[in-house]
Amino acid sequence: MGFGQFISKPELDILIVTHRDIFQNSAYEHSRFSAEYADQSAIIILTASDMKKIGIKDNDRVLLKNKWGKVIVRAVESKEEEEHAGIAYMLNSPWSNVLVSPETNGTGVPSFKRIKATISSTEEKDVEVLPVSKWENQD
Amino acid sequence: MEIKDFVCTGCALLCDDIGIKTEGNTIEKTYNTCRKGAARIRGDEERMTCTIKGREENIDKAITEAARILSEANKPMIYGLGNSSLEAQKKAIELASKLSAYLDDTSSFCQGPVVEAILEGKVPTCTLDEVRHLADMILFWGSDPASSHPRHLSRFSYFPRGEKRQRGWEENRTAIVIDVRKSDTSEICNKNFYRIPPGSDGELIDALTAALNGKIPKVSFGMSSKEILELANLLKKAEFGTIFAGLGLVYSLPEIEPMIKLIEALNKSSNFHLMPMVGQYNMRGFNHLLFEKTGYINRVKFDGNKVDHGPHCSVMEVLNSGETDAMLIIGSDPLGCFPKSIAEKLKNIPTIVIDPARTFTSMIADVSIPSAYTGTEAAGNAVRMDGEKVEITPFIDSKKLSDEEILKRILEAI
Amino acid sequence: MASAMEIYQYLPRTNCKECGKSSCMAFAAALLAREVTVDDCPPLKEEKNKENYDILVKLLPPAESASETGMIVHTELCTGCGNCVVACPVNVAEDPYGAGSGKAPTSDKIILRVEDGVVKLSNVESCRRFGPQSRLCSGCIATCPTKAIEFV
Ligand code: SF4
Ligand code: SF4
Ligand code: SF4
Ligand code: SF4
Repeated sequence: MGFGQFISKPELDILIVTHRDIFQNSAYEHSRFSAEYADQSAIIILTASDMKKIGIKDNDRVLLKNKWGKVIVRAVESKEEEEHAGIAYMLNSPWSNVLVSPETNGTGVPSFKRIKATISSTEEKDVEVLPVSKWENQD
Repeated sequence: MEIKDFVCTGCALLCDDIGIKTEGNTIEKTYNTCRKGAARIRGDEERMTCTIKGREENIDKAITEAARILSEANKPMIYGLGNSSLEAQKKAIELASKLSAYLDDTSSFCQGPVVEAILEGKVPTCTLDEVRHLADMILFWGSDPASSHPRHLSRFSYFPRGEKRQRGWEENRTAIVIDVRKSDTSEICNKNFYRIPPGSDGELIDALTAALNGKIPKVSFGMSSKEILELANLLKKAEFGTIFAGLGLVYSLPEIEPMIKLIEALNKSSNFHLMPMVGQYNMRGFNHLLFEKTGYINRVKFDGNKVDHGPHCSVMEVLNSGETDAMLIIGSDPLGCFPKSIAEKLKNIPTIVIDPARTFTSMIADVSIPSAYTGTEAAGNAVRMDGEKVEITPFIDSKKLSDEEILKRILEAI
Repeated sequence: MASAMEIYQYLPRTNCKECGKSSCMAFAAALLAREVTVDDCPPLKEEKNKENYDILVKLLPPAESASETGMIVHTELCTGCGNCVVACPVNVAEDPYGAGSGKAPTSDKIILRVEDGVVKLSNVESCRRFGPQSRLCSGCIATCPTKAIEFV
């Protein structure tokens, strides 16, 4: 990966599988602008061996990036008994959508559920994900 | 006041047995809704405000401005409607036709292929009540109702007793989960959980079809021929089976045909049906209405009396390619649920949003119009995920206009 | 849910027996089984143990969610799916065409029902696990997708 050259932190290529969750969805229905919704959305679930490879612990912040964007989320260790190395889980949300490719090969269906990205631990500050008002700075 | 048999619009199960206790216009308690439905019924804390270019305005001005933007545009697009009543959807179709606009909905990038196959009569389907009364085999393929349609298993598919399934799940039903991850649904269907690698759904479908056609099935991942044969045999012994197709399945199948073939192969000895796990409560209603009018379920461009259809009319392609020069969004939030790089293009064109709650997209909209919640505040009809029509009766007296009324007024102003 | 060992960590661990139990560990087990409450350990109410007292109160689900039969619902995990409602044999026997058929309950005698999006208990004394003719039943536990029901 070309963009890794200035960063000394180990990077890992992963496939992010997205899915839905009733608790996060309920938070969305309650208030999509709430901290609660953001907290439940900005998470990636990793298998233990992958966490080790990039040198992070439960709840550490990680940087996810690919050609389409970058986003910082919290890493949480997977509760599945079976390892799923190279595969990580995220909930569908504006945070995962930062990384979804706009290219649909003419099908009109973006690849929402399977997203390729690299992951590394990070000290960078959060990337703004939610839109800011288009009209605030006018006149 | 005690309300009975209220319809929840939290998902396309449209549960119609909800109890509600109110005190004036506030909801005190909800009965029988799942967690998500309870949140839905109470509504978003932050309601939409009526604005033009970020400034609060009255609704008449906002409607006039919306009509102006749409009539001045060369290629306007109307998108959303999965969270609107059939009556509002009809108005939106009328508006799109009058404006020669693009018209599309969420099915364009989710359950469209399944709904289309069903409406075109290419695959057998059934109702949820039939599932409850008759089904002895339920297959959740790439779907996780425990997370997306919480009452699916308790109301219809697995646990309840039905006419021919008096003993319910323990003895009378088998539930199978095929998924790429260990979902909450697979926790319950533990014994029959098949985990497959992401993207290999098509391979397993073909292998199962081969097995049913007497060939030796093979896949490139960790399932042996014996395991696949056993699964095929288990399925074909069913008296009445239903495959609940989730997004996990639809997204990893470029074409729905292999699934149709599998069901054909199963139906040489069994009686299988396909049903889409529709998310938004009335997405399927929109598909039905547009199909009746144009022969297509989504992705259309009206042009006088002609209708163009195809991926080039899909919301993702139209927005991404810069084809449209004004967008009307009803009950949907592209800045939350589209790929960010596509959604951002909305910043470049005039955008109008109609929604009961403040949305991410409203932050960049030229016009935002608050609407009543269909369900608690506005009446209407909707189509459940299985195609059954459900009537929704509100109980809160709201001054807000319904989607239907707003669209009607935009139509009149054009 | 906390384990007896976890609870034990926050007790005074002096085995003073003031609570009437033979040791702090025994008291921890009794707490878990809901036989006693945190307030039954006098030393724990002393100022120096306040922090631990507060932790224990949080660790143990509020008294009303634990029924006298030891059935506990972790409402924070419950999705309100209603699986337990339709699977419980007592619910089915009392209300075959309502709760037992996946629909809104029509009987007051059922054990499990859903209110405000989470499960609510009533009539726990009729649960099959209790009483003189108790037998093992796990209808509600086996059908719960999030392990929100537990017996202690
Ligand atoms: S399953 Fe869907 S329709 Fe039923 S109560 Fe839950 S959110 Fe509402
Ligand atoms: S009273 Fe408290 S400190 Fe004494 S034995 Fe019981 S639990 Fe331990
Ligand atoms: S243990 Fe059995 S009888 Fe008791 S509440 Fe659970 S399902 Fe009902
Ligand atoms: S089965 Fe579990 S999650 Fe569902 S209503 Fe019962 S306790 Fe709640």
